[in-house]
Amino acid sequence: MQTFSFSQAPLEPGQFRDALADPACGGYASFEGWVRDHNEGRRVRRLEYEAFEALAIKEGERIVAAALERYGVRRAACVHRIGDLGIGELAVWVGVAAPHRDEAFAACRYIIDEVKHRLPIWKKEHYEDGDSGWVNCERCVDAPEHDYSRQVALPEVGARGQARLRSSSVLVIGAGGLGVPVLQYLAAAGVGRITIVDGDVVESSNLHRQPLYEAGDIGRAKAVVAAERLSRMNHDLHCTAIAELANAGNVGALVAAHDLVAECTDNLRTKFLVNDAVVRAGKPAVFASIYQYEGQLQAWLPEPDWPCLRCLWPEAPRDGLVGNCAEAGVLGPVPGTLGSMQAMLAMRILLGIEPAPVRGLVVVDLLTFATRSITAARDPACDHGAPGPQAAARDAQAAPLEVEFASLDDARAAGFELVDVREAWELARDPPGLDTGMHLPLSELLGGRLSFPADGRRLIVCAHGVRSLSLTEHLRQHGRADVYSMRGGIASLQG
Amino acid sequence: MTLSIHVQYFAALREQAGRGSETLATGSRTAADLYEELRERRGLTLPRAMLKVAVNEEFTTWDRALTDGDRVVFIPPVAGG
Repeated sequence: MQTFSFSQAPLEPGQFRDALADPACGGYASFEGWVRDHNEGRRVRRLEYEAFEALAIKEGERIVAAALERYGVRRAACVHRIGDLGIGELAVWVGVAAPHRDEAFAACRYIIDEVKHRLPIWKKEHYEDGDSGWVNCERCVDAPEHDYSRQVALPEVGARGQARLRSSSVLVIGAGGLGVPVLQYLAAAGVGRITIVDGDVVESSNLHRQPLYEAGDIGRAKAVVAAERLSRMNHDLHCTAIAELANAGNVGALVAAHDLVAECTDNLRTKFLVNDAVVRAGKPAVFASIYQYEGQLQAWLPEPDWPCLRCLWPEAPRDGLVGNCAEAGVLGPVPGTLGSMQAMLAMRILLGIEPAPVRGLVVVDLLTFATRSITAARDPACDHGAPGPQAAARDAQAAPLEVEFASLDDARAAGFELVDVREAWELARDPPGLDTGMHLPLSELLGGRLSFPADGRRLIVCAHGVRSLSLTEHLRQHGRADVYSMRGGIASLQG
Repeated sequence: MTLSIHVQYFAALREQAGRGSETLATGSRTAADLYEELRERRGLTLPRAMLKVAVNEEFTTWDRALTDGDRVVFIPPVAGG
């Protein structure tokens, strides 16, 4: 079956549906548009559809292809009726088959919206009073659907600036409290291409501060929902959803493929990951974070002597030590304001609006509305995230301290050499046959009578995982990246 | 001689200090000494290495000498979003 076609004859949805059958698909969604008996207060008797077929078929095929790619669905098709239609007849049919229902619904919705909006199809309505009239296709209305005149009127924007936004691409990492206003404003302003990276799903506790999402979105991937909403909001936008966390494996290529990066996550690990990637790629970036009623905003520009995130925070604490929204609490307008400021900063950078952003940090207090710009110098000792000894030491700090195993054999199979730091009297109580590997009692290590092996991937075990954790922490602080503590200790094996 | 210093706290430090700002008389001569003094007086837990200090709207080093009337800000990184 063709992915998009016109039909003079009445549509047979049963046949179309069968043509999409696919054993790999567990979900099928379909939309049918029917001829209704009224429009804008007038009684309608019948309809005529006319299309510029050659152009419409090509554009229709593009829409279906985009839906397949964007939502990862396997099969999709659309058939539009032309000619004379009576009340109740089927005017347009869309069908989508996908492994799961979410993608099927989303792709179906996308196809019908795009078809209605983009295809040169005209409708003539015949009214009960004998009158008739052409109803413009949505694309062909006189006023452009998205009118940027109010921002083009600004001397700093103008037609040239608008064209610049249209040809710009922005990577938005994190589609939460900060990301939502960033996405909404950039999409509305006519930024041509936006990629949304977020590995989370919409949760009920997000809704109070992330008003792009609705109760019905709970459980769906944020990136996908946001891309749907933005695409519907501005048809000029090319929006891509990446429903995974930004990580070391994907961040480099994503950053390289965009003109600017907006970092909108709620964790320091990702912020530093993005910092290192933008510094390496020489791409401008806007960072923001919030804590209760306060926010911090920072721009990074690929200019000589511009301070990066690591210049400011050479020894950033683990995420657990700085509050997040779940623990510290947050009112919606706080990320809303900081995200809006990020969007403003992004547009200033894209449009080259003077003055240049602050080299350093802007600190905002939303209880007093005090805003403070604190300038920072580039730190000559900072490696700006480049690979090297500092990065290795940071990795050692950042790696999880504890790992969990069901048995000691599992730990050995994972490549660990065991070091048992319990005292001799504790070992005597072990069940026969339990082999905990090298025995270095903690008291002997602390007393300096024994020393910890200088290398190797070591898993430290004790009775309950408390002593092993503090020893692991101590070793990590002294630069040992390859030591771990077994969570729960020997007790966790016997339970 | 004691110096009169205006101190502002942000984020977790504001909570721990129980106030957003204060003007105090101190015998401390550097930003580092002042922070250590306040750690004790105000029960601040974050180690200095994790913070930034700014004097008169400019980030500075911890060995920065204080002068009478300086405005000192202690800022921890925040991560919420």
